[in-house]
Amino acid sequence: MHPPRLVRVAAPLLIGALVLSACGSSKEKGADGGESKTLTIGVIAPLTGDLSAIGLGIKNGVDLAIKQANEKKTVAGYTLKLNAQDDTAKADVGATVAAKLVADSSVVGVVGPLNSSVAKSVAPVLSQANLVEISPANSNVDLTGRGALSTGGTQARPYKSYFRVVATDDIQGPFAAQFAASLGKKKIAIVHDKKAYGQGLAEAFAKEAAKGGATVLKTETINPGDKDFSATITKLKAQSPDFLFYGGEYPEASLFTKQMKAAGLKIPLMGGDGVQADDFLKIGGAAAEGDYATALGAPTESLDSAKTFLTDYAGQKYAEPVGPYGGYAFDAANAIIQAIAKAVKDGKSGQALRDEVTKEVGSISFDGVTGPISFDAFGDTNSKVLTVYTVKGGKFVAAKTDTFK
Amino acid sequence: MDLFLQQLVNGTVLGATYGLVALGYTMVYGIVQLINFAHGEIFMLGGFGALTTFLALPTGTPTAVLLPMMLLGGVIVSVTVAVLMERFAYRPLRGAPRLAPLITALGVSIALQELVRNFYPEAKSARNFPQLVDPNRQFSLGGDVTINAPSLLTVVVAVVGMVTLSTYVRRSRTGRAMQATAQDPDTARLMGINTDRLIVTAFVLGAALAAVAGVAQGLRFGQVDFRMGFLTGIKAFTAAVLGGIGNISGAVLGGFTLGLVEVMATQYAPEPFAGGAWKDAWAFVVLIIVLVFRPTGLLGERVAARA
Amino acid sequence: MNQAAFVRTRLQARFGPAAALIGLVGVLLLVVGCFLPWAGFAGFPGKMLNTAPGGSRLYVLLLALFGVLFRLDWPGRARALRGASTFALVITMLTVLFIAYAGGGLVNLGTGAYVALAGVVLYYLGAQSLPEDDVVAPVRELPDGRWRVLIETLLVVGVAVGALIIFVIGLGLPTASVADGPDHRLGGAISLNDLTNESQFLCFLLFVCGAMLALSRLGLVASVGAMTKKHSRVLVAAALMSAVVFPFTQGGNGYSLRIAASIGVFAAAAVGLNIVVGLAGLLDLGYIAFFGVGAYFAAIFSGSVTSVIDMHLPFGLVILLGAAISGVFGLLLGAPTLRLRGDYLAIVTLGFGEIFRITVNNLDGSAGPSLTNGPNGISNIPDLTLPGGFNFGENHLLFGVDLPFQANYYWLEIILIAVVMTAFLRLAESRIGRAWVAIREDEVAAAATGINTTRLKLLAFVLGATLAGAAGTVNAHVVKVAAPDSFTFMESALLLAAVILGGMGTVPGALLGATVLYLLPEKLRFLQDLRLLVFGIVLVLIMRLRPEGLVPSKRRAREFHEPGGGADALSAPPGHRGTA
Repeated sequence: MHPPRLVRVAAPLLIGALVLSACGSSKEKGADGGESKTLTIGVIAPLTGDLSAIGLGIKNGVDLAIKQANEKKTVAGYTLKLNAQDDTAKADVGATVAAKLVADSSVVGVVGPLNSSVAKSVAPVLSQANLVEISPANSNVDLTGRGALSTGGTQARPYKSYFRVVATDDIQGPFAAQFAASLGKKKIAIVHDKKAYGQGLAEAFAKEAAKGGATVLKTETINPGDKDFSATITKLKAQSPDFLFYGGEYPEASLFTKQMKAAGLKIPLMGGDGVQADDFLKIGGAAAEGDYATALGAPTESLDSAKTFLTDYAGQKYAEPVGPYGGYAFDAANAIIQAIAKAVKDGKSGQALRDEVTKEVGSISFDGVTGPISFDAFGDTNSKVLTVYTVKGGKFVAAKTDTFK
Repeated sequence: MDLFLQQLVNGTVLGATYGLVALGYTMVYGIVQLINFAHGEIFMLGGFGALTTFLALPTGTPTAVLLPMMLLGGVIVSVTVAVLMERFAYRPLRGAPRLAPLITALGVSIALQELVRNFYPEAKSARNFPQLVDPNRQFSLGGDVTINAPSLLTVVVAVVGMVTLSTYVRRSRTGRAMQATAQDPDTARLMGINTDRLIVTAFVLGAALAAVAGVAQGLRFGQVDFRMGFLTGIKAFTAAVLGGIGNISGAVLGGFTLGLVEVMATQYAPEPFAGGAWKDAWAFVVLIIVLVFRPTGLLGERVAARA
Repeated sequence: MNQAAFVRTRLQARFGPAAALIGLVGVLLLVVGCFLPWAGFAGFPGKMLNTAPGGSRLYVLLLALFGVLFRLDWPGRARALRGASTFALVITMLTVLFIAYAGGGLVNLGTGAYVALAGVVLYYLGAQSLPEDDVVAPVRELPDGRWRVLIETLLVVGVAVGALIIFVIGLGLPTASVADGPDHRLGGAISLNDLTNESQFLCFLLFVCGAMLALSRLGLVASVGAMTKKHSRVLVAAALMSAVVFPFTQGGNGYSLRIAASIGVFAAAAVGLNIVVGLAGLLDLGYIAFFGVGAYFAAIFSGSVTSVIDMHLPFGLVILLGAAISGVFGLLLGAPTLRLRGDYLAIVTLGFGEIFRITVNNLDGSAGPSLTNGPNGISNIPDLTLPGGFNFGENHLLFGVDLPFQANYYWLEIILIAVVMTAFLRLAESRIGRAWVAIREDEVAAAATGINTTRLKLLAFVLGATLAGAAGTVNAHVVKVAAPDSFTFMESALLLAAVILGGMGTVPGALLGATVLYLLPEKLRFLQDLRLLVFGIVLVLIMRLRPEGLVPSKRRAREFHEPGGGADALSAPPGHRGTA
């Protein structure tokens, strides 16, 4: 309680934290000195905690798109700015930061969030303000009303300003299942992490695989954050499957494939776009060889824009890797930027500008780094081109590119 | 039968890590009645300390030198942080309401995780840990039952650590002083025991064992990450309570029990309540049932009765 | 502590006689400095360029006003001055650093900054060198007279209004900076706009702490506190009015109302937990699960299309049933486990919290019976409607002010808090409440005096669960989704932190703790990645500086500050007192 103590403890820590944060950020000043007007693109993603590596990849993707647009003056007369908000992967925090972005009238578009569960609390808030939101990662079918399709109902759009650039579970899962069938796999094990993404993907895969005539073993689950999967692997090994589909993200997938192969269950693991990340190769190492992962769009090597993106990303020297969704985030941001460029032409501002940007995003069409970007009437991407990658020589190599169905 | 035995082995390996970390919880609790939630982070820092040591040593250093050096590096980092934590976060609160240190522990835990995440190079996602002991090397335990090299190492290290510690606590002067303090701190002090130093000793011993567990974990899975401590910490705390908090043999037994329950629930629990998604729920159900029938854990607690 | 006292003794020996003079010179310099520009460039918030003080300069200036105490011989003045000057020093240093950082170097500091820095250092040294106070400041009372009651009433109302003002300023008006024209001249991770709202918050918070510390050391806080106790009804009425009026101060900003509503839910749950932990002394690490039971119940019966049960119950019924079911869960968990002591109960509740989370994550038809929609959670929870056709999801025009829809939920929260608070206060002052405290202090002795400890502990546990359930039902509609990842161990731990940080066993403590714990991470957003790191450090610091909590109960404060105070069930064992 004595002040000197307080100064000795509190002041250096506060100041230290401040100085440290100062070191970690770029300090360039805007050259235009207040001449041009500013518009903001928001990002909602987990920037701290377990999923921060993926979330920061999204933030960096958007940051890169904004920097390039400012350089090229894509939006004439305006400077674009990034406003990234940490949703900590929690639904209630997501709703709060969404309200924060809505309250800032310079925000005309939002990229994010990562988790479908967060999206379900973010989308109502943004939709109410008709502020456009493009998710680079949500694959849950309900967000665009696709869930009704599988039960024979008709699709109705629940959130009018919600869009996404990734394939939904009911496209990616079956695509992977068709590929597994083409490999002649007959006894398939399925494991997922009991999160919305992993489970949705795994269930869609299981359905299609069973339709294709393969024997699908009882689905096993693991917990996100777990490291020791020996019990699950032993259980699966006793049933001797010849293929394993993993619904989830790369941190657990890489450990799983490694432990599975060390335990003598030498079958390929296949995952979705949450697995198709460099970190999967890094941690998985030699064990990942021969594994598969699907992702939306044509393979990156075949697209010049994708190569340029990766070079540009590396050029920015971000502290975090691009991750599985950095490219999608880049495309999502560019969709918003192009919509803004069209929307500001009539000199609109405020709510009118937000309405206009949302409308323009609906009719956008361009070739992004992950493939062609355009949306259907429900906010889903029109692109149905997917690629299966296989790990060869420590790299993801395209094994098959096709249009779904 | 092989399946059951294999799962038994899996559970034992899992339990060994829990047990090693639980020892730290139990020793600190036995003496100061503090639930040190940041202990899981000490475990994590052990892994990172070893990784740092590995990166600092020249490539081509023989494993026989590398492994002890990494272990030493991990232990040094963990022990240093634990001692600093005790000195600057917990000791000033020694006379405070008993729940205050709990929140401090929570704060320390968050801060340590975020410190590593933000400032350890490339630690936002998992870092590769050198696999000095080949996980593909399997030892047969009869039939199809196998255990791989790093797992075997983990169990051996855990057993050695636990036996050493309990011998130390039972036989050495310091150890007996610890027992005395746990039973009756006032009388212990009157007998000339320096409780401050004993508390530090408890933190040091706990941190050293946690560091060993952290290195073992790194070797087993070939990676360490900033969040590895949190879940393990909670599980280890559970194990310590399950066995009877403050009780060294109890922590070990609790660790193995917890590991076995998790593994067996994955394999044998009735459908649809089987599998990984339910295993932690089973672990806690077993914990609650044990505590309902044995309110002080499997082996009973060894702490001073409080007024 | 000894080291600090030693330094102070040295300072007193060297500067003692001149202490007041040094301090006054410092205060004078500081005041002058505050009227000179601190920043050498345009664009820094808080009007750092012009001569009229604003932002941090205003806070420092106000703290400098305590400098008159150098000339007055009031009891407690040395300690008050030490508090005020220390906080003035920290705020000045922080602000100077912020300006230097925003401007890109120390060259950007204006003359005022240097003058103020010199002044504040002298102020600090002067205060440190003052001789120790002889007496502790007494609790003062107003002289008797015809105006006494009126003045006291006004002061009490002032407390409530002051709290509202502090809250409104603290929350900031994020839209204001945008309305003035966007001010985003800096690129990079921390923008100038963020600094406007959020670094200023830090300085503001420090100012409030400093001023409160100084005032309490002068005995003024205790004096006004005594008045509020005397006129507690006036205080409650004024506080309620302030809370109701709050949305009108926000200029239609949905974000701040949404934060206020979230704080409301968090606070209501914290008050409920305070019954369990603060009154009855039962350590509960899984409290969020009871909150979750309520939230899921409300979600399932909300008529949401993602709920497996297509049934829409009226909200009034949902609150009652949700609370009741939550209470039943409390009973089921509590009955067999409440005979466990302290930390064993803690781990059992932690386990229950995890079991709840895992269960709702699994009840999706594939890993278990279909009820909760698993990891997807129940989303699309519709907005509440009142029978008169009032829709909570629409903006409303009230008294000529266009209120965003979040205001509706905010008012709902206020009602919820009022109910929970009333329940808490009634209980705390009843026979039951006293019995709980007796159990908390010494269970054996309590049992010996004829208290049925098991039954009363169970009652506390069930009541706590019931209130959490009620708060949960409301939260489901505020957040519009009930998903398993909102009910992790971390949430329980943060609730517990709110109770302990605020001060166990008091309502203002729980409210303040919840507000600080919710607002702090929100307001630290400008730190981006470092946010949680700083949050963790701040938790450690607060517990270190005020281990008994920000607003401790009288009994507890005495226990902790008077040597030889009795031990209680939640205190360290007697042998460890005073070894620090």
